[in-house]
Amino acid sequence: MSTIAIISSFADETQCAQAIEELRAAQVGDFNTFSPIPSHKIEHAIGRSKSPVRWLVLAGGISGVLTGLAITIGTTYEWRLNAGGRPLLSWPPFIIICFELMVLLGGIFGFFGVLMLSGVPTTAMAPGYNGRFGEDRFGIVVRCEEAEAARVESMLKESGAEEVVREDGAQPR
Amino acid sequence: MAAAPKIPVEPSYRDIDRSVLRVMEPAGLAYWAWIGLCFTLVAIAAGFWVRQIYSGLGVTGLRQPVMWAIYITNFVFWVGIAHSGTLISAILFLFRTKWRTAVYRAAETMTIFAVATAALYPLIHLGRVWFFYWLLPYPNQRYLQPDFRSPLVWDAFAVSTYLTISALFWTMGLIPDVANAREAASGWRKKFYTLLAMGWQGTDRQWRHYSMAYLLMAGLATPLVLSVHSVVSWDFAMAINPGWHSTIFAPYFVAGAIFSGVAMVITLLIPMRRLLGIEDLLTEWHFDNLAKVVLLTSLVVSYAYLTEAFMVWYAGDPIEQMTFHMRYFGPWGWMYWVMVSCNCVIPLLLFSPRIRVNMRALWVITIFVNIGMWFERFVIIAGSLTANFEPSQWAGYRPSITEIMITVGSFAWFLGLFSLFSRFLPIISMTELKEGIVWLRKALKMDRVKAA
Repeated sequence: MSTIAIISSFADETQCAQAIEELRAAQVGDFNTFSPIPSHKIEHAIGRSKSPVRWLVLAGGISGVLTGLAITIGTTYEWRLNAGGRPLLSWPPFIIICFELMVLLGGIFGFFGVLMLSGVPTTAMAPGYNGRFGEDRFGIVVRCEEAEAARVESMLKESGAEEVVREDGAQPR
Repeated sequence: MAAAPKIPVEPSYRDIDRSVLRVMEPAGLAYWAWIGLCFTLVAIAAGFWVRQIYSGLGVTGLRQPVMWAIYITNFVFWVGIAHSGTLISAILFLFRTKWRTAVYRAAETMTIFAVATAALYPLIHLGRVWFFYWLLPYPNQRYLQPDFRSPLVWDAFAVSTYLTISALFWTMGLIPDVANAREAASGWRKKFYTLLAMGWQGTDRQWRHYSMAYLLMAGLATPLVLSVHSVVSWDFAMAINPGWHSTIFAPYFVAGAIFSGVAMVITLLIPMRRLLGIEDLLTEWHFDNLAKVVLLTSLVVSYAYLTEAFMVWYAGDPIEQMTFHMRYFGPWGWMYWVMVSCNCVIPLLLFSPRIRVNMRALWVITIFVNIGMWFERFVIIAGSLTANFEPSQWAGYRPSITEIMITVGSFAWFLGLFSLFSRFLPIISMTELKEGIVWLRKALKMDRVKAA
C-alpha cells in the first residue's frame, strides 16, 4: 500500500483549525499546515508543546552574563588598579556589561535558534506548498495510506475546504 | 507614481498584499534622482571626513574646553531617533497595541538606519579613527584592556548590542513578508527575494518557533531600549561637569528619545504614505495614536525640564546655578528658548483631536519637535562645556564647515537608506497587518465615513 499526499486549502482560519482537530481525532496519517499568519487557532488545534527556542534564548542569556563576568573580572585581575583603596571589583558598571551581553547573546541564540529549528535556510519546498498559502489561504497537507484517502478527503471537504487534490507519490516529511 | 487604487473598506488578505507589493514595483526617474541627491551629499560629507582624518580634528570648531559639540549632539540625536522604532516594534507588541501593525516596520527600519547613522559619529569624532577598536574588549599592544568603569565603554557595548538586536528583530519580521514578495516577483527580483526569504514557507513548524522567538526577542528588546539611552545619558551624567552631573539624566534622556523618535516616524510617514500611495493602509487612526504618544512624551520632557531647574535651585550649588543661568540667559540662551518652544509649547496643539489628524499641521509640528530635540542635545552637550568651573577657561564654540557638511551628509545618508529600503523591501508588515485585519477594517470605515 503506498502513501499519498492530499492537499487542501481553506479560506477561513477557523475551518482549517476545525479540520485539523477532526484529523487528529480520526488519527489518519500525519499532516502539516501552511498559513499566511501565525495562527493561534491552528497552533492550538495541532496541540504541540511550546517551542524549545525559549531554552536556547535562556542558554544565550546565561552565557552572555557569564561572558560579561569573565571579561570584566578577568581584565580587572589582569591589571590590578588600586584606586584610593577602593574594592578592586566595581560591580555596578560590571552589571551593565553583563546585561548588554545577556541581551546580545540571548537575541543571537534566539534568532539562529529559530532558523535552525524551522529548517531554514533551505532550497527544498515542502510537498504541497503553494504561493497562495503565504497570501490568503490556509493549507493542510495530509499523508495517509491510499485506502484512507477517500475518508480524509470527505473530512476535509466537510470541514469547509475550498479545494482538495491528491498528489501521488509524495515523500513523507 | 500614479494614484493608488483605493482598497475596499472590508479588505481581504489579498488586498493588503497587493497594496504593499505594489510599492515594490520598479521606481521612476524622480525616485532615482532623489536617491542620487542623497548619496551625492553623502559623498561630499565623506570627502570632508577624509580631509579631517588627513589633517586632524583642527579642521573642526572643537577647541578646549568645548571638545564635545555637534558630532556628539548628532550621535545622541540619532540614537534617540532610533528608540521609537523599538518602542513601537517591541514594547507596543508586548502591550498588544492594535495600531502598531501598520507603522512598526517603517519605524523599525528607521531605527536600524538611525543607529547606523549614530554609530558613525563616535568614529568621525576620533582623531585617529583607525584605533576605534580600543573601545572593544581587546587588549592593545601593551596588554592594556579597556576600563569597564568608563561610560564610553558601556556605550560601545550598548550601542553595538542595540544595532545587532534591532537588526535581527527586524530581519526576523521581514522573513515571512519577503517570502510573500518572492511569490509575486519575477526576474532578478525573484532571485533576490528567494535568497532573503531563505526558503520560508509558513508551515506550522516554522510559525511555532517564530512566534515564540518573536515574543522573547520583544521581551529582550524592551529593557534594552531603556538601557541604551540611559547608558548614552551616563556618558554625561557620570562626569562631574556642571549641567551634566545629574541623576535625572537617564529617564530624562529616554523620554526625550521616544519623543523625538515618534516625531521622526510621523515626519517620515506623512510624505511616504502619499508618495508610495499607501494612504489606505496608514489611516488617520494611526496618526492620531502616534500624535498622542508625541503629546504624552512632550509633557514628560517638559516635566523633566522643570525638575532639572528645580533640582539646581534646591541643591544650592552656586556653580551649577551659574551654568543654568548661562543656559537660560547667556549668549546661547536663545537656543534654550527655541528648545522649550518646540518641545513644550508647540506640541500642546496636539491636545486638539482635529490637529492630530490634520496631516499638514501634524507634519509641521513634528518638524518643530525634531528641531527642538536637536537643540536640546546641543544645549546640554556643548552649552554645558562653554562655562566650566574655572572662569578663565570659559570659551565659545563655532562649528566649522566640516562639521556642518558631515551633519548634512548624515541626514542624507539616513534618508537615502530609508528611501532605498522603502521601494525594495516591504515597508509595511503584510503578516502583522493581516493578523490585525479587524482593526484595519475599523480604521478604514472611520476614514470613509469621515470622507463622506
